[in-house]
Amino acid sequence: MKLRYESLRPGDADGGPVVRFSRVLHRYGSLVALDHVDLEVARGETVALLGPNGAGKSTAISILLGLQQAQEGTVSVLGTDPRSAMAAGRVGAMLQVGGGSGLPYGVKVGELVAMASRLYRHSARVERTLARAGLNGLADRQTQRLSGGQAQRVRFALAIAGNPDLVFLDEPTVAMDVEGRRTFWGMMRGFAAEGRTVVFATHHLDEADAVADRIVVLRKGAVVADGAASTIKATVATRRLRFVSKGADPARLRELDGVDAATVRGSEVVLDSLDADATVRSLVASGMAFSDIEVTGADLEQAFVRLTGDLAEVKTVDDAIAGRLRGTRSRTLA
Amino acid sequence: MTGLGAYLRFEVLRLLRNPRYVAITLGFPVVFYSLFLHNLQPAEHVAGTTWNAYFMVSMASFGAVVAALNAGGTRLAAERSSGWTRQLSVTPLPAWSYVATKIAATMVIALPVICVVELTGLLIGAVRLGLETWIVLTAVLWASTLPFVVLGVLVGFVASSETAYPLVTALMFLLSFFGGLFTPVRDMPVVLRHVADFLPTYHGASLGWAVVAGRAPGVRDAGILVVYALCLGLAVNWRHRAEETRALA
Repeated sequence: MKLRYESLRPGDADGGPVVRFSRVLHRYGSLVALDHVDLEVARGETVALLGPNGAGKSTAISILLGLQQAQEGTVSVLGTDPRSAMAAGRVGAMLQVGGGSGLPYGVKVGELVAMASRLYRHSARVERTLARAGLNGLADRQTQRLSGGQAQRVRFALAIAGNPDLVFLDEPTVAMDVEGRRTFWGMMRGFAAEGRTVVFATHHLDEADAVADRIVVLRKGAVVADGAASTIKATVATRRLRFVSKGADPARLRELDGVDAATVRGSEVVLDSLDADATVRSLVASGMAFSDIEVTGADLEQAFVRLTGDLAEVKTVDDAIAGRLRGTRSRTLA
Repeated sequence: MTGLGAYLRFEVLRLLRNPRYVAITLGFPVVFYSLFLHNLQPAEHVAGTTWNAYFMVSMASFGAVVAALNAGGTRLAAERSSGWTRQLSVTPLPAWSYVATKIAATMVIALPVICVVELTGLLIGAVRLGLETWIVLTAVLWASTLPFVVLGVLVGFVASSETAYPLVTALMFLLSFFGGLFTPVRDMPVVLRHVADFLPTYHGASLGWAVVAGRAPGVRDAGILVVYALCLGLAVNWRHRAEETRALA
């Protein structure tokens, strides 16, 4: 069965980006939360904002929701300003709620979702929203009797009750167990498959990799990578070489062509290389004794560490590609 | 604005569904009224009326104060800490609607509380007033509930979910006792009479005491209540804005 978008509204047919963030700068005192960030999200995309804590993910989302005003730059959501888009009921959101459930007590789940639906002009039917959020059996449950994962799903139901074109989720699976996260993303993907646009913040690489069409990596308020997971994986620290070598000198290993980082643990050597072929050639040419060489593709975690770690100076994916094409041996890519 | 209506109905329903809330808001004033009637002569006169009528006004005011402070304080503090207020901030509801709806829902609840105490006065206190006097009395007591409703909301913003309950309980009894709702102010030491003159509980009940005694409600009392409501309202507005800013930093 193919799911269809319930109600296309007039004016929805335009092909412009759903979210447009242009040169957005935002500071908290001397701390720069967003440093001239550019970001566009097209209709129907599922985009992950990936980054460590303090990278600016939540600030970006709260600006997109109109909870905060960007200090510099322009922001548009669904072709208007964030507050108008929210007031028009075309945006849904799940924010971080800290330790609480995020729900009012003394009501049944069904009543809460029904009330939320009445806040929107084009809301979905309550039964539909409950089904989408996997709450079919819980409509009569009091909100204070929900488990953490169930409360999270109710908050997802509240975010989608208005049948929104665009949904923002700020670390939606924080404090959920593996099974809960899997169920949650299954529902979210079902909703996105109806043609909705979803922007979510996470610091879980596997989530970004599994759920998003596109990953935007933030580091200290700047976009350091933007592309499909496979692109990000392919462009950063492309290969990892492992081999056994007695008495290897890390300094010498780092001088090998293409090597970006070298780790020596006893006789085990791990090299991160931007050009595995060049590295192997230069390793052979160096005359170092080695055995059991193994070359693997970098995983997203390596890419992420490279992009957001303090040692990495990689600014953008493009620079990383340029650096690789130059076959650079330098450890820092400017 | 249908959204606001749905939200208001939802808030009223939640208050009515809370057995503890209903028990204390109705239980305290009705039980106190019933207890203290048995110990006194029904015909004893206080401030130009019978004790039963006078004390009915006191307990109706007390009930309204209990309803107002408990609706705002404890629940609001809990909702702030649970993140529900944040969730509401990402709906089409305007930013002011959370506080406005809290105030409106509590006012809706306070009216039947006042009426139930009046009914208790009528039935077991044998208080006899003309229909017009009943209506004016109810209106006056209901209107004078507003500053307490706003105070309840302020407590909810100032206190944490742990401190709100003791704070509400303390405020409820201190304001009521020193405002002369349990013991008539004229029976209090002079110092306490001056204290009472600063309290909105005293001025709220004074409006009602005047009505049952057949006098016109005092303009000064009403004025003081308006000033209280305005000042507390400004404080709520300030806290609400501070909270919105802080939640984002």
